[in-house]
Amino acid sequence: MDKKILYSITALFDTPDGIIHAAEEVRRAGYKKYDVHTPYPMHGMNDAMDLKDSKLGFITLAAGLLGGAGIFGFVTWVFVKDYPNVIGGKPYFSWPAFVPITFEITVLSAVLVTVGALIAFFFKFPNNSHPLHDTLYMKSVSSDKFGISIQADDPMFDEEKATALLQTLHAQSVQPVYYDEEELTRSWSTFDPKFLLLLAGVAIIVSGATYVTMNILLYLPPFDWMSNQNKFKPQSTTEQYSDLRMMRPSVEGTVARGFMPYPYHGNPDAAGKNLVNPLPASKGVIEIGRTKFLTFCSPCHGNFARGDSRLRGQFPNPPTLHSDKVRNWPDGNIYHVITEGQNIMPSYASQITRDERWAIVHYVRTLQRAFNAKESDQQ
Amino acid sequence: MSTNPVTYQKKELPGSVTSMAATATIAGLILVLLTYWLDHSRGLFNNIIGLSVMASVSVGALFYVALEYLSGAVWSTPFRRVMEFLAASVFGVILLAIPLYMNLHEVFLWTHVDALARDTVLLNKTPYLNVQFFFIRGAVFAGLWLMFYWVLTRNSRKQDATGDQSLTRMNIRFSTAFMPIFAITITFFAIDWMMSLEPHWFSTIFGVYYFSGTVLAALAVATFIIVSLNERGYLVAGLKKDHYYSLGTLLFVFTNFWAYIAFSQFMLIWYANVPEETFWFVSRWRNGWQYVSYALILGRFIVPYFVLLSQPSKMDVRKLKFMGIWIFVAHILDIYWIVMPSFSRSLVLGWQELGFPILITGLIGLIFVFKSKRENLVPIADPKLQRGINFRL
Amino acid sequence: MSTSVIDYSIEPPSVTGNPSAVSIDHSVSAPLDRKPSRGWWIGISITGTMLAIGIGCISWLFWKGTGVWGVNQPVGWGFAIVNFVFWVGIGHAGTLISAILFLLRQRWRTGIARFAEAMTIFAVICALIFPLIHTGRPWLAAVYLLPYPNQHGVWVNFTSPLLWDVFAVSTYFTVSFVFWYVGLIPDFATLRDHTASKVKKVIYSTLSLGWRHSNRHWQHYEKAYLILAGFSTPLVLSVHTIVSFDFAVSVIPGWHTTIFPPYFVAGAVFSGFAMVQNVLIVTRRFFNLEHIITVDHLDNMNKVILLTGSMVGYAYGMEFFIAWYGGNPLESFVFLNRAMGPYAWAYWTMVTCNVVLPQLFWFRKIRRNIVVMFILGITVNIGMWFERFVIVVTSLSRDFLPSSWHHYAPTLNDIGVLIGSFGLFFTLVLLFVRVLPVVSISEVKATLPGGQPNHH
Repeated sequence: MDKKILYSITALFDTPDGIIHAAEEVRRAGYKKYDVHTPYPMHGMNDAMDLKDSKLGFITLAAGLLGGAGIFGFVTWVFVKDYPNVIGGKPYFSWPAFVPITFEITVLSAVLVTVGALIAFFFKFPNNSHPLHDTLYMKSVSSDKFGISIQADDPMFDEEKATALLQTLHAQSVQPVYYDEEELTRSWSTFDPKFLLLLAGVAIIVSGATYVTMNILLYLPPFDWMSNQNKFKPQSTTEQYSDLRMMRPSVEGTVARGFMPYPYHGNPDAAGKNLVNPLPASKGVIEIGRTKFLTFCSPCHGNFARGDSRLRGQFPNPPTLHSDKVRNWPDGNIYHVITEGQNIMPSYASQITRDERWAIVHYVRTLQRAFNAKESDQQ
Repeated sequence: MSTNPVTYQKKELPGSVTSMAATATIAGLILVLLTYWLDHSRGLFNNIIGLSVMASVSVGALFYVALEYLSGAVWSTPFRRVMEFLAASVFGVILLAIPLYMNLHEVFLWTHVDALARDTVLLNKTPYLNVQFFFIRGAVFAGLWLMFYWVLTRNSRKQDATGDQSLTRMNIRFSTAFMPIFAITITFFAIDWMMSLEPHWFSTIFGVYYFSGTVLAALAVATFIIVSLNERGYLVAGLKKDHYYSLGTLLFVFTNFWAYIAFSQFMLIWYANVPEETFWFVSRWRNGWQYVSYALILGRFIVPYFVLLSQPSKMDVRKLKFMGIWIFVAHILDIYWIVMPSFSRSLVLGWQELGFPILITGLIGLIFVFKSKRENLVPIADPKLQRGINFRL
Repeated sequence: MSTSVIDYSIEPPSVTGNPSAVSIDHSVSAPLDRKPSRGWWIGISITGTMLAIGIGCISWLFWKGTGVWGVNQPVGWGFAIVNFVFWVGIGHAGTLISAILFLLRQRWRTGIARFAEAMTIFAVICALIFPLIHTGRPWLAAVYLLPYPNQHGVWVNFTSPLLWDVFAVSTYFTVSFVFWYVGLIPDFATLRDHTASKVKKVIYSTLSLGWRHSNRHWQHYEKAYLILAGFSTPLVLSVHTIVSFDFAVSVIPGWHTTIFPPYFVAGAVFSGFAMVQNVLIVTRRFFNLEHIITVDHLDNMNKVILLTGSMVGYAYGMEFFIAWYGGNPLESFVFLNRAMGPYAWAYWTMVTCNVVLPQLFWFRKIRRNIVVMFILGITVNIGMWFERFVIVVTSLSRDFLPSSWHHYAPTLNDIGVLIGSFGLFFTLVLLFVRVLPVVSISEVKATLPGGQPNHH
């Protein structure tokens, strides 16, 4: 017993009136560090102990206003500045639609901050090693008694006087409560080998258990419904056909949709002889031809087909299209060259459609005419 | 268990109250007559505002009387007479309805047969919106209100003499019957007198909206009177901040409730953006009416909310009295905001709008004084009175 | 028992039999110290089976995708949203009892508040399942539900009611949980000092955070409780309001109506009270708490059920009236279709259970008859489930385009998930009554006769 330090003198009362009276008397005696313990909040006790109003409400108000203003500002920023988007034909800053979320976050932040402040700041919890814990006194006030405790660290505390005061108030039992010396002096070291060993053990067990659960017990193959469908796949085999091929070969003579055979392959003369430009030399057609020419032909042949592009000077020079040879070619020949290519020029059949090729032919003709105008054109 | 006899010494209200109420009534009446004389239809629209506010105060007060019986609340028992006196203003409602019934044609579009003939939407509504049925509804509502007012207050008055508990039980029964009737009458009263001013417009929540304003207005007026009377010792001794706190909390709660209902109505119509509904709000957002809308948000929600938010201010005598007047005025503003845009598409606000508020304030005061001369200001023999005085949070 | 004549001049006691504070400790903590009874085992095996059915169905759903449900064009919202709204609604009674009745100083709430709050939390857990599983791949749902800065530079749509739901329901869950826990702290301390078992003592000590019943703490605690109640009240209104916005901000006939917010809230309280009443009847019976959860409490709850049921009836009436008065042919068609169309059976079930049957509660004898009120509580919840079904399905199955009309029918998986949610709810309830005090010890003690000082 002598090792223990006095924490407080406690007294128990049976009735609410008794404890209220006791609290008033203890306050009048001038004690500051005393506390009343009741199993439930007692009406009028705050007045009896002369406690000031709780300031918790201000924290709530501040947290609520901050949270509300914060989320409203954030949503406004998102909708007006960061990612403006018209939704439902409403203006960017459509504040009525921000109200619900603002309200929810206001409540959430106010409540969480209030409870956090209550527990951590006002109660200084968690604290399970208070001297009053595990005493008969605490067991009594937990159940149906009302207790008062005058602490020893009060400046005017005197063990005998306090005991006498409580006894004159007709308390049930007046008991001193002591600190547990051992508990006060006990210290924990983070680098205690035992503790480290425990940590390591926990880590190994947890990771092992996690591995076994996640990878063996609960293992699921990845979802592969996309590749696992109830249908035949083109490149696979089947018993259904004698050739075992899933994908059926097409009927003889089948032509791909939109495909037109080009019978003058490697035969520019025949092309020149037999092909006729099917398009009229209208303004629209020439305009299309110009666009396509500028896109595909001009890099080599130059903007005006004079063979003066940036590639000039490299071997072999892209030829001008204003040479007599080209000017005297029939349309079919030019068409053939675009389609099949010539010398180093590749085929443009895959980039330029048939009609576009004919339009280019018209445009080339237009250019040729512009650079070698006849007398009649100038009139 | 025997009840301690409550010590109550009846004090007459000072003559200044009577003269103030009489002055207000006369001044209001002069303004009203002037308005009628100068601009007849503007007077009529203002008359609807007066009628609706009067109905709010009187029928709302009757609602609180019934609510106290039903919920078994005790803290409000010492104040119940104040509510009963306010409920007597239901006679004023009938009075204010008379000029309107004589001029329905000038106010309601749906009474115009020529307009109906061209408008199929309105034509479809004629089984409900027609003058005969309108009259019948009004008469039935007024009759029901009068009946319940008479029954509930008569039993309460009788109890002053006898202290008979069976009267309380009887009133609980009547209150039970009154509640559904209250809900239905107040809804259709709102639809008839306010929603049908714009006969094309409709909103299912409108009855609830008017209800929320009604209970708030009646409570505000009652709070002002209760606090003023208690301060000067006209009620029983022992009414403390716990009672005030309850009044303040109710005011606060109903302020929030009104905001909730008002916002829900606006939000749903604004969000869905259906033209047949939005025009009602659009016309209140243009031509000067938007300032009234802002004033309504500020005056009816934001100011009362922040004034009544903190715990101490809910029991602060000065703030409660101030809020009593403020919320009553805000209710008038609310009804004005509902009614007047139907009169004029652009903002109208002048001395003409003051007549009816002053008149009804005076009328309520006069009726209150009249009742207080004949009856006790506290239900002295109510079995719950002692519990009510002892009420602590 | 109370006599037939009530004396209004005395306050009705909130507990009967004049128990002492110590006996409250005993009766509340007794179920926690006993071995579970046979009835409890039977109960949990039934609810566990239901839960297992639900888990099985949800696993199948995850495996195959939402195609296993009955939803298809145009009824894209089927059982999942119906169940969601239903369970969120159930939760509302708890907050109402714990917060609103607290603010109204209704002493009769003390006996039932804890239980009701717990049911709120369990119901919200059940509700939260549905929005998650209806995405089919819930582990991906975080991407489009939570606003987090991401590489796409896109935010969630803060103006969508569905996102408001995410915020509202998660806030509601968090706040309810905090509220519940704060209320439990003093009781944990009492249990800590009451229990004889060492293991339990450690658990209760940890959970009580070291509560000492100190008045300097009670002072802040009461303030905090008041603040929490003050916040929970508008919060609970906002949650079902926002759920109603899911429907009401759209332009689907039958969904777009301004009375939805208060109507949904009233309906939520209605069904929640019925559920709390049902569970309390069973609990008080099995745990001998008849003197703490008295017939008077149940009577009061039945009055609230009657009141909110009438509000719901008022809303049905207003909807019908305005559907006609508004003069919109689509709107009036939807309402006629509800009452006379292919889902008329659901509509009339709803009206019978929600509006007609609760009228029996006008009679005091029925309000105080345990068997009858139990049955009525069940029918109320059946009715409220069908209310959500009617709203969701009738409006969608016959919308603007008659060519796309479609009859919705649930699949077995739909029904299995619904059963599973009931299983989860009741399993949690059964676990709760075993491990936590079902009645707030400190609150009940505070309202005992002679529990407060006489005023000087």
